[in-house]
Amino acid sequence: MEKAKISAYQLFVLVLLFELGSALILPLAIGAKQDAWLAILLGMIGGGGIFLMYDRLFRFYPDILPTEYVQKIIGKTLGRILAFFYLLYFAYIAARIMRDFGVMLVTFAYPDTPLFIINALLVIVVVYTVHKGVEVLARSGELLFVLIVVVAVAGFILVLVSGLIDPSNLKPVLEERISSVLKVTLTETLYFPFGETVVFAMLLPYLNHPFKARKIGLLAIGLSGVILASVMAINISVLGVSLTSRSQFPLLTTIQMIQVAEFLERLDIFFMLTLVVAGFFKISILLYAVVTGTANLFQIENPSRLAYPIGLVILILSVTIASNFAEHLQEGLQLVPVFLHIPFQIVIPLFLLTLAFLKTKRKQGQ
Amino acid sequence: MNKRLFFIFLLGAVLLSGCWSKKELTDLALVAGLGIEKNEEGKYVGTIQVVNPGNVAEGQQGGGSGQGPPVSVYSATGDNIIEASRELSTKVSRRLYYAHTNLVVIDEQLAREEGITKILDAMDRDPEFRVTTTVIIAHGVKAGDIMKALTPIDKIPSSKIIKTLKFTEESWGEHLNVNIKEVINALTSSGKEPLITGFHLIGDHDEAKKMESIQQTAPAATIQTNGLAVFKEGKLIGWIHGEAAKGSVWILDRIKRTNVTINWKEEKGAISYQVMRQKTNISARMQDGQPIITVEVRAEGDIGEVIVPIDLTDPHVFLEIEKGAEEEIKKEIEQAVQEAKEYKSDVFGFGEAVRRLDPDAWETLKAEWDDRHFPELQVEVKVDAFVRRSGLRNKSFLSQTEENR
Repeated sequence: MEKAKISAYQLFVLVLLFELGSALILPLAIGAKQDAWLAILLGMIGGGGIFLMYDRLFRFYPDILPTEYVQKIIGKTLGRILAFFYLLYFAYIAARIMRDFGVMLVTFAYPDTPLFIINALLVIVVVYTVHKGVEVLARSGELLFVLIVVVAVAGFILVLVSGLIDPSNLKPVLEERISSVLKVTLTETLYFPFGETVVFAMLLPYLNHPFKARKIGLLAIGLSGVILASVMAINISVLGVSLTSRSQFPLLTTIQMIQVAEFLERLDIFFMLTLVVAGFFKISILLYAVVTGTANLFQIENPSRLAYPIGLVILILSVTIASNFAEHLQEGLQLVPVFLHIPFQIVIPLFLLTLAFLKTKRKQGQ
Repeated sequence: MNKRLFFIFLLGAVLLSGCWSKKELTDLALVAGLGIEKNEEGKYVGTIQVVNPGNVAEGQQGGGSGQGPPVSVYSATGDNIIEASRELSTKVSRRLYYAHTNLVVIDEQLAREEGITKILDAMDRDPEFRVTTTVIIAHGVKAGDIMKALTPIDKIPSSKIIKTLKFTEESWGEHLNVNIKEVINALTSSGKEPLITGFHLIGDHDEAKKMESIQQTAPAATIQTNGLAVFKEGKLIGWIHGEAAKGSVWILDRIKRTNVTINWKEEKGAISYQVMRQKTNISARMQDGQPIITVEVRAEGDIGEVIVPIDLTDPHVFLEIEKGAEEEIKKEIEQAVQEAKEYKSDVFGFGEAVRRLDPDAWETLKAEWDDRHFPELQVEVKVDAFVRRSGLRNKSFLSQTEENR
């Protein structure tokens, strides 16, 4: 674990950018049709609960990385194996996010460029940042967050001024009953993007004031949930449910609709580039977690050197995990939640928390 | 060393970016409009209007001999739209570039026989093509002939059509500027059908292709709006014109400014009421298990013209005029509803309003909506019109001429 500290505000920005990352560009929770916003908000509440669980674990072991405390909780050998699986999980998620952004860039702007080249360019920047360490990552987050806020506000004003928003597209509320909204929440939004904050367990030990982690995390998750829900509500009110569900990247399709004063139109490229910034942070945070975790697990002295080989692995993974985008999405929506998200985000942490709780209790008893 | 490497890397990023799939402007054929029809063999014929940049600029300056036409038109056939578009490359010397295509013209015959559902996917899916592209129907003329006709003032015929449509929608309100997104949304919705403006070519179709056509004060042929096409299950089933068309635009809340002609006592067309702004609301309610639709219009406007000697200093006269305007607007709307009912096509989205009110009832009504429920639907029309001003004069000079004094 490198000697570095990040401030509470920096953590807040990182969590927020991480949550927005790829969730912003995909048709999140569109299974709930016009109630997608509701499914996202419910997912956010659940995600807050999940984060409390990670925070509790962190409070038991505030100074060491999860890769180390799993060994303390369930024993050295088992703990190491489990920690290694977590690292694989983070690497796989990073590759998935990279695939999402690569495909977006290819579809919207670079139709003739191979996906590999686009992902390679992205991975170079990510690896460079991770190589520089968590402080640099956090500081660049602070800086670029301003850019994202400016572009987001500008985008919102432009959509509003274009007179595109038709709130009647959001009606009727709960056409498909609350059960279908809950189904989408429990199969999708709870894990993607909210449950993915499990990766922040790897970053919390760097926080300069550990007791602030809970408040900051919940605040960032809450804000990101509200942002994601309103973005999806705007998408649906601009495009209608049918076009939103047919769009691979509905937010950019919404932006394409902007036509203000005869010359402010076809702005999707500007917004696409800004979205890539959010994606960059999500991938960087995941890669950083893998790098620092690997170094910790195998006791490598200089962790930042690992950024290059692991970045290369993620790059290759991102191109090879699926042979086409439909397959990629299908895996993401049907297989990954069941086989990866539920065990790694909920079941295992809950199990660890129970054990840790019993352990400390026994210690106190002695 | 590291710094030098980094500098080289940065230089490469700056100099090399954008080179991968660069497209030189001189290698692009800017497609202004696309016409789609079907030939006898059942193949799609795509007709594109390619801008001749040099000739457009020349024409606008008015100088030079200006021999060349501002656009060139090419056609090709294919089993689907993309195939036809690719085959066009055998005829055009440049790469076809669709990012600036603003107009799609669909042939009436194609829309009637096969419907428009099969041709829209290519435009919805392609990243270059925009879904904000305007769609029109070639009414009583081949789509290809509309594409080939030259136009004065706005040299590129596609932009002439779009501008005509835009300004007539704003100031007259009998036509709708609908884009691909709106058409597809109406096609996919269970309670709404699309309405698309028709365009006609009046005059000599063959002469319209020649430059001589626009070198005279009256062109050999003029592209003109002509009615609104009514669709049902993706197929064109008829047209609505005139007052009913304007009534449809009222119901869809797309009227911006228009003219309402009001009779005064015995005098026909005595007062012209100019709508400046309006708001139309469609609401549904259920009564005894049957939906009832209410169309509420609130219009504000001025007096544009009077040809009878009335006293416009008297507020009571204003009230009379308001009443007349309300009746007139109501008549237009009721006529529109009547014609749509005859076509059995819910072009106003009344079904959508019912769905939003009561999704459960809609489930049972949905199947037979267009054929049974919509034609029997009770539609209440409420119009509130306000006359705010009477222009620069109060009384008309007519009331001071010899005969009326």
